[in-house]
Amino acid sequence: MTGARSQFRTLVARELQTVARTRIYALLAVGVAGLLFALTAGGGGAQTGYLPAVVDLLLPLELLVPLVAIAVGYRSVVDDLERGELAVLETYNVPAWVYVAAIYVGRAAVLSAVLLSGLLVSGLVIAVAAGPDTTVFATHSGVDSPILWGRFIVLTLLFGLAMEALVVLLSVVARSVRAAIVLATGGVLLAAAGGDALIVLGLADGWLTESNLLSALAVAPNSAYRGLVFETVIGVASAGEGGSAAPLWSLFGLVGWLVGSLLAATLLLSRRHL
Amino acid sequence: MTTDPILVGEGLYHEYGELSVLEDVDIAVAPGELTAIVGPNGTGKTTLLRILLGHLSPTAGEVRYTGPEVDRPIGYLPQQPSFRPQFTAAETIAFYAALLDEPAETEVALRRVGLADAADRRVEALSGGMRRLLGIAQSLVGEPPVAVFDEPASGLDPSMATSAFETLADRAADGTAVLVSSHDLSLVERFADRVVFLNRGSVVVSGSPAELADATNAETLWEVYESVIREPAARREVEA
Repeated sequence: MTGARSQFRTLVARELQTVARTRIYALLAVGVAGLLFALTAGGGGAQTGYLPAVVDLLLPLELLVPLVAIAVGYRSVVDDLERGELAVLETYNVPAWVYVAAIYVGRAAVLSAVLLSGLLVSGLVIAVAAGPDTTVFATHSGVDSPILWGRFIVLTLLFGLAMEALVVLLSVVARSVRAAIVLATGGVLLAAAGGDALIVLGLADGWLTESNLLSALAVAPNSAYRGLVFETVIGVASAGEGGSAAPLWSLFGLVGWLVGSLLAATLLLSRRHL
Repeated sequence: MTTDPILVGEGLYHEYGELSVLEDVDIAVAPGELTAIVGPNGTGKTTLLRILLGHLSPTAGEVRYTGPEVDRPIGYLPQQPSFRPQFTAAETIAFYAALLDEPAETEVALRRVGLADAADRRVEALSGGMRRLLGIAQSLVGEPPVAVFDEPASGLDPSMATSAFETLADRAADGTAVLVSSHDLSLVERFADRVVFLNRGSVVVSGSPAELADATNAETLWEVYESVIREPAARREVEA
């Protein structure tokens, strides 16, 4: 049997070539970069520095990242199902885990490129527009720097990768492209906004207390991302004001969404036959 | 030529909820033969093919593949083959070939179905018939010992349909066990070594076209079809 590694490389290459030859993804990248540029330049934060820009962009990115993940990934598996290519791939002995991993890596690379290009453009705007203090590299608390912007980019990519894994799972669940868009939109928005809503509800009803609030925040993907940004980017500039999230648990939360979604997608696909 | 079958389905049953689709179906596909499954729409042909491929588990019964241990034991052409429109015909075949250990010749695969001249044409620019031929080329990548085709001539003009069946018959002549479902009785009569008539989820009769004609006092496969499928259906309607 062909090595799984070779099949994986072949499938990833097909994903990347597909995206490279589909103009809509280039338009998506331009749109995202344009939107982030407008938010950065127009929000006022850029003139002040990296940290104010992070504060400006954090909330919009909580919405934008899941939407980009949907746009990049909702058709990833269901297209192959509708075309009958999944049934054909099974005759080539492609294991479900290889297929899911390859689809995910291909789409995750595209998502990362789209987000990275937009955030690098924003970083450039800040570097040009902001005052001289922001060129200083942070060595201790209270100093704004491009390093913090880099940290923000890494966390945003992590959030995006977790959302992309969820979208791939929902694309496995869907039986048609139309169902895929509904499932991806509903599922991702439920995960993104539903987690926060549940936490608010839990606090209001009393079944969530201060002692387990940080754990709950780490489980919901949006609040885990927000918590990580607060603790490891914004909090650096305001020493002593941490404790709004548990960074390690938040990191586990996002990685859990990523790994859990891909495992579920693999399990589902292997039960349904590839 | 009589050889031991390498793909066998025994006592196959399949149900979708309350609906019974296959009932006690036995089928055997031998190397060097083109076996055709014939029957009305909705009679379980595609379900039977999917079970034989291992894509669907039977409610009861078993499927055995006893052919050689190879990279790709069974090739498959779905009923409506489709590929990524952004890729050329050659790239599509090369993609599938790259999933196998043994390198497969893209050009040979395309030439076999008469698509060598369209190798650099994108899938989106191929006609429906050419896409089906591309599907046939794909199903034979890696020279699988068994090749399963779900209505390979559907949507093809008479010339292309004949050409498609000629390709399958050539593969059978080279020792491949070829299994085809088709509604085109004239092509089946011309090219099939064995015909399995499936009706209401059960095998009604099977044998070579000549054996079937003898058994039913028919001269053509169409008359066999009339005798074993249409007339019993008409009688059932009258009785009902």
